[in-house]
Amino acid sequence: MNPLDYAYTVTFVLLGAAVLLTLYRLVRGPSVMDRLVCLNAVSVLLVTFIAVEVALRGDHAYIGLVITFALLGFIGSLTAARFAERRAHDRG
Amino acid sequence: MSAPSDAGAEPGRPVRRQLLGRLVMAVWLTLMWVILWGDASPGTVVAGAGVAAGCYYAARLPHLPVRLRFRPLRIVLLIGHIAVDMLVSSVRVAFHALWRPAQMRGAIVAVPMRTDSDLLLVMVSAGLSLITGSLVIELNREEGVLYVHGTPVSSERSVRHLRRQVRRTEERFVRAFGTQRDIDEFEREEQELLRADEENSEEETR
Amino acid sequence: MTAGDIATAVLLPLGAAFAFTGTVGLVRFPTLLGRVHAATKPDTVALVLVLAGAAFQLPDPRVAAWLGLAALFQFLTAPVLAQTFGRVAYSRGEISTGHLITDELADAVERSREDDDGDGG
Repeated sequence: MNPLDYAYTVTFVLLGAAVLLTLYRLVRGPSVMDRLVCLNAVSVLLVTFIAVEVALRGDHAYIGLVITFALLGFIGSLTAARFAERRAHDRG
Repeated sequence: MSAPSDAGAEPGRPVRRQLLGRLVMAVWLTLMWVILWGDASPGTVVAGAGVAAGCYYAARLPHLPVRLRFRPLRIVLLIGHIAVDMLVSSVRVAFHALWRPAQMRGAIVAVPMRTDSDLLLVMVSAGLSLITGSLVIELNREEGVLYVHGTPVSSERSVRHLRRQVRRTEERFVRAFGTQRDIDEFEREEQELLRADEENSEEETR
Repeated sequence: MTAGDIATAVLLPLGAAFAFTGTVGLVRFPTLLGRVHAATKPDTVALVLVLAGAAFQLPDPRVAAWLGLAALFQFLTAPVLAQTFGRVAYSRGEISTGHLITDELADAVERSREDDDGDGG
């Protein structure tokens, strides 16, 4: 196995562990904001995964996905956070 | 690259400057389009320009008065500082995460800003929020005060350090992107703040 | 192994390590604002490092420009999100004040409220 393969293995293990830990926090909460922050973190981690995939294959077909996912995650998180703020206002 | 500069030319030809500002934005959108398509053939460029103009018309994007000056050397330094800050503070937060997460304390400090330019304030707060361990919670536009949450902060000394960091970041942004007038105003306000600080400390010692 | 491969072999695990430690912070920090810090910023560093590492594996520099674009988007969006999360968390009152050394925003809000009362009475 050449050193680059080790690097990919380490990367995937660390990123996979990061996603699992984030999902743990996502389930545990405790507050809505915690869950929103976690969702955003998962989306960024997914984008990172795709970027590693781009490196692994040396193939640019996925880069469009990187940008699309990043922007969708951004818009989704921003909208959700704004919504959470509005609800807090309504309650008083 | 240089945006419309306005070294003391306030009353002169606002229409032209407005057009220039729009042109910069349209060129930027077109550039994005070309990069996303991945080839710079004339057809793509024309289509991109068309889409940019269409977007502009349909969304009625607000016209931002771009009053910036670009100083390449300062900008490179600024980017270097931010990159170093990002790495160092990420390592610091990682250290806390791994060894003593329960002792993680934070502080929200009010830092009066010395510049009055909207665009510069936005850039400063974005630059601060990009760094691990500092986060702009609120921006009081009327008084020009940033409320920054910093972490890990454990003592009065680190609170002072956070304040100093915010001010340094502001100074770097102003000196990299501000027009001559922005810089002059910045220096004037700084003198005033310094004088006020001195008076305060004199009162305290008395 | 070429120099590009070495760069990739260093940058990718380094980025992943940043993402991992950030997530450990997300799980272990006691305050919501601390978790916002841990969730948004180290991930940005991680993504940019991984993108830089991936750029060395691409045959065509034109394609690497796309990766630069992705990094640029991340630099633009991350502070906006972090700031929004922070503001919303604060305005919802989900901040544990016991963990704050000082809170000058609360002081300012207090002061302006007193001013309003003064005007009213």
